[in-house]
Amino acid sequence: MSATGASARVPALMTAAGAVGLGATWFAAGAARFWANWLLWFLFLLTIGLGALFLVALEHLADVRWSVPIRRTAERVSGLVVLTAPVALIALLALPVLFPWTWPEAAARPAVAGKAAWLNVPFFTIRVLVCLALWLLSYRILVGGSLRQDRTRDPRFNIRARRFAPAFMAIFALTLTLAAFDWMSSMEPEWYSDIFGVYVFAGSFLAGLAAVSLAVLYLRDRGRLSRVRFDNLYGLGGWLFAFAVFWAYIAFAQYLLQWYGNLPEEVFWYKERIEGDWLGLALVIGVLHFLIPFLVMIPRDAKGKPGSLGRAAVLFLVAHFLDLYWLILPAAGTGPLPSWPEASFALFFGGIALLWLRRAMTIGEDMPVGDPFLAESLEYRL
Amino acid sequence: MKADAAALPERLRPRAVFQGVMTPGSLDDQVLGHTAGTPSPLWYAGLAISLSAFAVGASLILYTFYTGIGVWGNNRPVFWAFDIINFVFWVGIGHAGTLISAILLLLRAPWRNAIARFAEAMTIFAVMCAGIFPLIHVGRPWVAFWLFPYPNQRAIWPNFRSPLLWDVFAVSTYFSVSLLFWYLGLMPDIASLRERATGKVRKALYTVFSVGWRGASSHWRHYEKAYLLLAGLATGLVLSVHSVVSFDFAVSIVPGWHMTIFPPYFVAGAIFAGFAMVVIVLVVVRETMRLENLITDYHLDAMNKVILGMSCLMGYAYIMEGFTAWYSQNAYLHHIFVQYVWGSYGWAGWLTIACNVAIPQLLWVPRFRRSYPAMLLVALGVTVGMWFERFVIIVVSLHHDYLPSSWHLYKPTPVDLGILVGSFGLFFTLVLLFARVLPVIATSEVKATLPGAQPSHRGGGHE
Amino acid sequence: MSERAFAVLGLFDSAQALVDAAVRLAPRRLGRLEAYTPYPVHGIDDVLGARRSPLAGMTLVAGALGAVTAMVFEWWTSAVDYPVVTGGKAPFSWQAFVPIMFEVTVLFATFTAGLGMLHLLARLPFFGHPILSSKAMASITRDRFALAVEAEAGGLDVEAAKAALAGAGAREIEVLTVPAERGPFPLRFLSRSALGIAAACVAAGYATYWGVKLIPVLPPMVHMLEQPRLDAQEANAFFPDGHGMRPPVPGTVDREHVPYPFRTQEEAAALVNPLPRTAEVLRLGRKAYENHCAVCHGALVNGVPTLTPAYGAKPANLQSRAIREVADGQIYHVIVRGKNAMPSYAADLTEEERWAIVHYVRVLERAQNAKDEDLR
Repeated sequence: MSATGASARVPALMTAAGAVGLGATWFAAGAARFWANWLLWFLFLLTIGLGALFLVALEHLADVRWSVPIRRTAERVSGLVVLTAPVALIALLALPVLFPWTWPEAAARPAVAGKAAWLNVPFFTIRVLVCLALWLLSYRILVGGSLRQDRTRDPRFNIRARRFAPAFMAIFALTLTLAAFDWMSSMEPEWYSDIFGVYVFAGSFLAGLAAVSLAVLYLRDRGRLSRVRFDNLYGLGGWLFAFAVFWAYIAFAQYLLQWYGNLPEEVFWYKERIEGDWLGLALVIGVLHFLIPFLVMIPRDAKGKPGSLGRAAVLFLVAHFLDLYWLILPAAGTGPLPSWPEASFALFFGGIALLWLRRAMTIGEDMPVGDPFLAESLEYRL
Repeated sequence: MKADAAALPERLRPRAVFQGVMTPGSLDDQVLGHTAGTPSPLWYAGLAISLSAFAVGASLILYTFYTGIGVWGNNRPVFWAFDIINFVFWVGIGHAGTLISAILLLLRAPWRNAIARFAEAMTIFAVMCAGIFPLIHVGRPWVAFWLFPYPNQRAIWPNFRSPLLWDVFAVSTYFSVSLLFWYLGLMPDIASLRERATGKVRKALYTVFSVGWRGASSHWRHYEKAYLLLAGLATGLVLSVHSVVSFDFAVSIVPGWHMTIFPPYFVAGAIFAGFAMVVIVLVVVRETMRLENLITDYHLDAMNKVILGMSCLMGYAYIMEGFTAWYSQNAYLHHIFVQYVWGSYGWAGWLTIACNVAIPQLLWVPRFRRSYPAMLLVALGVTVGMWFERFVIIVVSLHHDYLPSSWHLYKPTPVDLGILVGSFGLFFTLVLLFARVLPVIATSEVKATLPGAQPSHRGGGHE
Repeated sequence: MSERAFAVLGLFDSAQALVDAAVRLAPRRLGRLEAYTPYPVHGIDDVLGARRSPLAGMTLVAGALGAVTAMVFEWWTSAVDYPVVTGGKAPFSWQAFVPIMFEVTVLFATFTAGLGMLHLLARLPFFGHPILSSKAMASITRDRFALAVEAEAGGLDVEAAKAALAGAGAREIEVLTVPAERGPFPLRFLSRSALGIAAACVAAGYATYWGVKLIPVLPPMVHMLEQPRLDAQEANAFFPDGHGMRPPVPGTVDREHVPYPFRTQEEAAALVNPLPRTAEVLRLGRKAYENHCAVCHGALVNGVPTLTPAYGAKPANLQSRAIREVADGQIYHVIVRGKNAMPSYAADLTEEERWAIVHYVRVLERAQNAKDEDLR
């Protein structure tokens, strides 16, 4: 346990240093910047957690074999959803700062005033609470049941999970869309795009997969998942590749349609994000989120070899963070260049997330040993 | 190292992909045997009906050519109507074939092999039916080649910024790639037919089309690689084709058309409609050709699950569209969405929702996923519903223009209906001919997955 | 019999037996080993020592080529060769070019993967392979597996191969021979083919010629011309005076009409260009000239345009000494009244535009005939 203690010190120090920075941001850089970063990290951790939970549910839904040995890791990463619950509740305090529909001036903007039935603080809060409750419930059913199966070895859990998985898909689709519309789209309340939920989903699953891949490779390096082989990793790599393309498809479709239609109530959103300094970030996202990983991951080996898979996963996590940064910060009126407030938020939340995941890695077995399909899945061949 | 099947609860036990004992030889006799001998009276009856329907459509198309498209019901502002509805409908039907043959291959779904060839053939035929409609809608089809960019005396080029030109590229690429994919898959089976054929003409044809395939392992190696590559490329293509079709609408600023969710929503709808058509045709084929041991309840169950999932995605898309119509606070958009359900064509909107979202929910019941009446009800419902969905999108969005003075109701003429019937005739004629002369099941693919088909250890051991 | 042995074929009942036999025969180097199977047997490639398929690389290159080809082609046609702004979209709109770029990428890649596999790697179609006429072929495409020891440059020891295959458990053994050489095509065949091709070319040429001549004048193609409408100057019995066109109502006054009394160029020579020679006027003149005049008189007013050869008439060269020396008013007069084959442009150009064109023509004439003092 001494090794654990030593390496836990780094994230703990990160968190402590970040916390100081958070305080400094609040007082020195202003509330808007504080809340924008808070929102960014809330959504970053939430999308990773939900993406991992989606992977877990997908296995139950489609009776997938390759992912059984890594399911426990995905379940542990999906624990980030639990971590984000208090973060989300605190983020509600950002409403009067960042969300124009809470401002008194909103009444003078007809398109915003017309949405008052949807965009008002009580209803928004209810939606957030309902979403959180559904996520925690799903987590409890899918992950809690799986942990219990380690002891009971009861295959009835698989039946329960298989029954629940379709319902989870519906919950997931609607709540993630709500989160995307409420927390991101409504920062610019005139803007609307009905593909936005799918866009956030694509990024979310990609980020979840990337985080799970990194965690699997980390455990594998330490000999804890040594029976996970190329064929299992290839599943992760294949989905990462597929969703890099899917994300690009959705992102381009949304951009193309709004660019082509050129309607003022839509294009202003893109104008903010591809003019001036933001254009650079938009291009970087295009390159990191799609172009490089797409080209690098074309060969078969690149999808399953630990080294290349790990590099791709890091790239996707960075790209997903930048994507959220690009979605959220222009609406908050903060410049594209990060500075010490952004760095201290990264330290704080990065540290907390690492501590949380470290603790999660000690709960239960490293593989779902009670799952009746584990033995078969370890023999899985492409 | 398989999980001990007997110890598992019923629901978790792995299900057999095939029923009964099957060897490569018995598979050949069963599937390829259908191409020999005289067809049943039922087959002739089906062909007669389809050919008559096709003849009706073809003569009405000639009538349209001769007279002009004024014989259709199109008017101002409903410039697009049956022709574009049918085009989108048929292109969509084709998508299921590509999904089954390509995407499910990459996902390694075990139930794919038995139904892939048939679905691929349906893709080709559906795209052929689809291709008719833009061609006849241009009004002067004899100069349709102007759509392609070729150096010409007029010194002009087609407009590459127009989604209609994207369509030309997308649909022609889709057709040629699907044809190639289908043909390459068929080649080893045609080689088997070549060896079985007795008639001289048949033997000659099968010989030519099998291009001298001899099953050499040095060929199989490249062949399998090519098949995998084609599957990967076709997966991207199938997403792009219906997305491009959706761009025909979504890049415009017609309220009800300019929706950012259109590309994935159209793709989902296409797969949905295509699967329904596959289920309809497959049920008939399975019964008349006695393929119950190859296409089992398990296959039907899996396909119906896909239909159910797609139905939920359609529901999601409808919710998003409806919500956005209100959330946008855009008066025009709002008006059109009210027209979808409460306007002159409100019945079509409700029919769409009922057929595409409500009725398929029946399939949550496992028993219904294996019962012919239930799955045929759903599949026919989805076919009707998806056709009317395009009707709602195209006609209802157009009939109330931005200018109330130009609003106009649309009513199809008998010519419109006849050409639609004719396209079904063409489709089923081709399906029936296919089922006669080519194997409806990819025998070489199924053989490779039969138990014991692959060596369990790679040599050695005996030395 | 002068036939040489091409291969010795051993038939096996299962894929496992095939692989086992291949493992036993591979080290003995009796000849080139090849397996013939009804479906791809996994693991046999390793035993036979096949190299990796280069198909993926070929496909990737073709796909990249497709992407570049499409994007460059779209850019060149839309932004360089025929730049027309439509739908408010700039001539080079990369966003709008992406869908076709994607389709062409897929087209190039799939055809390389499919036909490249078939033709470049598998060398098909090929109907002359000895195994196609073997007894074993029917069962190879059905349910049995053949291992062939094929002849290499040094020939084939048939007996040794037979023994080895039998030892490895082959159920049946068949010796394939190289089909007798049929020699080059006989001369008669060649001359007949040449005649046939020539006849087909002539027939196709006539068919195309008459097709192109005839088809446009058949219904419905001709319907575009036969429209129930009245052309200008056409007679029509509907009106009592028999004219299709209606004269203006008596007493109609033409608005903004400036009378132009001159009948000849000489009379008009006295006219003086009322416009100053400013950059703004010249810009206007240039725009009007390029829209209306350049198509015949050429961009440099030298009568060398692109369209004329097809049109037939020879437009005037305004750079000629004779025209350089006429008065401004005479050029103005030709614009208003027309000359020879040139029609009047009075209806298309305002008075201001006409005079601006005169200035612009003068500037171009001077630019093409610069004198020494112009350079100083």
